Amino acid sequence: MDREIIARVAKVARLELTEEEMERYAQDLDDILNSFSILDEAPMCETFTFNPIAVVDVLREDQPGQDIDPKLLRKQMRTYEDYVRGPRLS
Amino acid sequence: MSVPAPHELIRFAKERYHAFTEIAETFVDAEFHFSAKDNLCANGFQARAGSAILEGYVPPFDATPVHRLKTAGGQLVGKTTMDEFGFGTFCVNSAHGIPLNPFDIQRSCGGSSGGAGAAACLIPGHIALGVSTGGSISGPVSFCGVVGLSPTYGRVSRYGLIDYGNSLDKVGLLSRSATLVREHFQTIAGPDPKDPTSCAQPQLPTKGRMPDSLAVPKEALANLDPAVSKGFQEAVGRIQEMGVKVEEISMPSLRYAMPAYYILATSEASTNLARYCGMRFGRREEELNQHFNDFFSGVRSQSFGDEAKRRILLGTFCRMVGFRSRYYLKSLAVRQMLIEEYRKVFEDHQMVLTPTMPFLPPRFEDIRKMTPLEIYGADFLTIPPNLTGMPHVSLPCAYQQGLPVGMQLVSDHWREMDLLEMSSEWEGHFPYRFPEVGP
Repeated sequence: MDREIIARVAKVARLELTEEEMERYAQDLDDILNSFSILDEAPMCETFTFNPIAVVDVLREDQPGQDIDPKLLRKQMRTYEDYVRGPRLS
Repeated sequence: MSVPAPHELIRFAKERYHAFTEIAETFVDAEFHFSAKDNLCANGFQARAGSAILEGYVPPFDATPVHRLKTAGGQLVGKTTMDEFGFGTFCVNSAHGIPLNPFDIQRSCGGSSGGAGAAACLIPGHIALGVSTGGSISGPVSFCGVVGLSPTYGRVSRYGLIDYGNSLDKVGLLSRSATLVREHFQTIAGPDPKDPTSCAQPQLPTKGRMPDSLAVPKEALANLDPAVSKGFQEAVGRIQEMGVKVEEISMPSLRYAMPAYYILATSEASTNLARYCGMRFGRREEELNQHFNDFFSGVRSQSFGDEAKRRILLGTFCRMVGFRSRYYLKSLAVRQMLIEEYRKVFEDHQMVLTPTMPFLPPRFEDIRKMTPLEIYGADFLTIPPNLTGMPHVSLPCAYQQGLPVGMQLVSDHWREMDLLEMSSEWEGHFPYRFPEVGP
């Protein structure tokens, strides 16, 4: 796990790391992934799913509904009139 | 000595033991009092999941388990302290204080539902909603000497839960007795259209069945602290005296469980935590006149704690092109293999029995010396049932050096009531001890 890879991973994850963090996490991930290499010995199977139990699709009637008043949700954000304020896109 | 009122104990648990991050302003004469781990949304309380990035977020709704307990007549008296987003084994990774073990305040309560474990221990009759992803109920239950149920994945709705790992998270209960856990589990279990993973479950039976045979995997008995080993062997003797057969078996796939779990959990966490970027949950005052990349990265880097960053990085790496098949898909295959291995054991035995944690509650000074990998390894007994979505209970089974030792029972999917039947029976044979502390 070199510095270049950890810097790439941090960029994808939207994390700005200090030099000290970069070095420390690279070492930690190296240790962790080395220990996880035991998985290479485990047999592969093709029948796995993404949940430990079988899940079912749940559909409801397509009728308009509102569980929570949007005004209450907007209280949790910075807004201008009815718009959510955010940083610049460009 | 007079018995303190529940609200005095709740305040005491918050102020002296840091079990709660926030408590109710007033206490009403409700049917019962309960608490919720801080990653469960509840109207009127902040839901910060132990993280500074959610500071000030007050959800305008109740998570389904909270709603159901309120409807049953309970008062939500507080939110309990936890590791940030559930990332921890010792509840030392919280932005809102570290809960102290009621048996010894120099020691950890366990994580990540550490506050829930302390509250359940300190307050008689209290029921605490906890959440387990890889052992976050069983760990604190073992260290705080209480009873805890982590149900089958999908048995209790996750609506209103701040996700860690979607395919692993389970809402469960902690208390001083199995009777209380059973009563309130029947309230919170059941399908909820707001969480489709809860809609595939069979109906919860009203009564469970006592097992006649338990299996102890020999792989679970290696690398135990001698005090835990001794306490566990004494418990096995007591169980046999109850007329239940205990047989040692082998589960070779257990050795793959820890890496598979951490890969799946961190992969899921790294995507779930992408939503926390300073815009939607809690108002922040950062300068908006920045490019969104700089804004989001700045907020995240300042607000996430050390372990959260480590897990985001690990999960992001495991999902990246070129590594996905080696890590993520292989871990899904291991989960399936382990489910099949459990099923094979359940052909001859009704439950799998192991200690819950490999050592006694550690001192904070010793935790500081542990590497991240050593800390991950401490979960090796609680991870297998969590990875496979199997229901499990942890119960006090011995006391060593004045500290509780926990044992863990795992059953097949949907058989929680059998676990609770066994738990109640165990309580009749092994009296629990609680520390004599109070305001």
